Amino acid sequence: MSLAYQAVGWNRQKKIYDACLAIGVVLYLTLFMVVGVLWFPHITAETLLLRGFGSAALVLLHFILYIGPAARLFPVLLPLLYNRRHMGVTMFFLALVHAVLALLQFHLGGDQFPLVSLLTSNGDYDSFFQFPFQLLGAFGLAVLFLMAATSHDFWLANLTAPVWKALHMLVYVAYVALILHVVLGYLQNHQAPVTQFLLVGGVWLLLMLHGLAGWREWRKDREARAEDGWVYVADVAEIRENRARIVCVAGERIAVFKYDGKVSAMSNVCQHQNGPLGEGKIVDGCVTCPWHGYQYRPHDGSSPAPFTEKIPTFKAKVTAGKVYVDPTPLPPGTPVAPALIGEGAEVTA
Amino acid sequence: MKQDHDEFYVGYLPKAPARIGAIVRLTVLLLMGLAAVVAFLTVREQRDIATALFEFGVQREFEGVIALKPYPMLRVQRPGVVSGESAPFSRYLLVAPFKFGADELVAPFDGRRVRLKGSLIYRDNKTMIELAGADAITEIGEGVADASLSFGEVTMSGEIVDSKCFLGVMNPGELKTHRACAVRCISGGIPPVLVVRGRDGTAYYLLLVDRQMGQVNQAVLSMVAQPVKITGELVRRDDWWVLKADPGQYELL
Repeated sequence: MSLAYQAVGWNRQKKIYDACLAIGVVLYLTLFMVVGVLWFPHITAETLLLRGFGSAALVLLHFILYIGPAARLFPVLLPLLYNRRHMGVTMFFLALVHAVLALLQFHLGGDQFPLVSLLTSNGDYDSFFQFPFQLLGAFGLAVLFLMAATSHDFWLANLTAPVWKALHMLVYVAYVALILHVVLGYLQNHQAPVTQFLLVGGVWLLLMLHGLAGWREWRKDREARAEDGWVYVADVAEIRENRARIVCVAGERIAVFKYDGKVSAMSNVCQHQNGPLGEGKIVDGCVTCPWHGYQYRPHDGSSPAPFTEKIPTFKAKVTAGKVYVDPTPLPPGTPVAPALIGEGAEVTA
Repeated sequence: MKQDHDEFYVGYLPKAPARIGAIVRLTVLLLMGLAAVVAFLTVREQRDIATALFEFGVQREFEGVIALKPYPMLRVQRPGVVSGESAPFSRYLLVAPFKFGADELVAPFDGRRVRLKGSLIYRDNKTMIELAGADAITEIGEGVADASLSFGEVTMSGEIVDSKCFLGVMNPGELKTHRACAVRCISGGIPPVLVVRGRDGTAYYLLLVDRQMGQVNQAVLSMVAQPVKITGELVRRDDWWVLKADPGQYELL
């Protein structure tokens, strides 16, 4: 939760997360370098570093992209999402090392300025197979830079979550460019069937995870219709204690929570990174986002003091054991008295 | 107090719930194992690494006769070869540091016997010397006459590479991933070479020149690192093959 900005709001979980990340990166690079030197004594240090850092960045990018849909399919994996931005920034620096090494090795020390050489050395822009793959890599790196540079909550708050989220969805554009960078570069150059298989497998797994997560969400998202101004959500018994049922009305998701014999409804969208609040839980009396733990009071959609986040709230009612919600959003932070779950009674809030 | 069995992870709390923590730990270990396997399998496929070497930082002394045209070379007498036998000289290509040819450094010594300092670059049976700097060459005497031997018109297919990287400065120093660098090198004066592969994979090297034995560096830039077919006159100078052809007649395959 944010109050004042600092470089990193460290806590024990983040330290564990980053330690695992560092161990993984060091393990990958060490293995790549050691095996490379032992197996190919004639390989140059530049080539080994170039390929080691490049492939490490690509592997990490795949892991980063897997985490989102995997956590939607298996919420138990949500801790992997918690500090994913550090993984993203690490991946950017791995890619940056790869790019700088390539620029120095292939373009420095010649008769043109290296960046000019990057743009002009291969002029086959009209050919798919001869296309200068370096530019695809440079484009991907530029997008990754944009994302790494704006990864802090400062930018998230100032750009607003929807803009920030749209910006960070560009990672998929970068991903396509980087896959093409590898296919039209390294893989076009020489026979590497296992690497080809790994890359195809990596892309396939990503598509599968997104496809499955999207399909499951689409099934859940069957549009509900309002009757007499109220939308049926679920039977009271179908909603677990301190958990929510999500209902989709006119394209907007509403999270309806059951807790302490009461029902409250609010927007499903966390103000922080647009996380799905309806997949969260009420902890210490507050709706808690499953992504980063941002909290909102169920009766007014406001974060507890001293935090200032607010989300839209909705009226809810319980009639004959059935929960309904009024799909008209109230301004963010509007207090709404919770609907009481009274046996057989009609309670409106 | 009633125990809550509905586990939920909150990152800023000191500890993850037991079941979630166990599953995530197992997943992290699996991901690390997967990364290690990927690293191993990927690095094992660096099959484009040639047996070539650049003695970076190691300077040796050489003695021989400078031949400036078509590209700077040092003609070194082969030990044990007596006059009258074929190819009594080996030719070492001469280049400047970085991505530049050695024409300017070598020009004052054309046809003269010299002693020079530089770093060796070698692959297969071809050798190149990267000169140590502007004062790397010292004249020590008279040279010997240079001559070419023609083998008539031939057609060869292969890849145009920059000889410096291909012979060992970069490894791999060929094909598309190296194209940009090869263009820079050849544009800077590094001798362009047509590498022709035999059926058994053996590489044959042909220095590319025009019909007048002039350099073709700027004319071949658009065809570097691509399959190309060249018809021209095959000439031998000591132990180097030279292909004399008009770059305008090169065919991209």
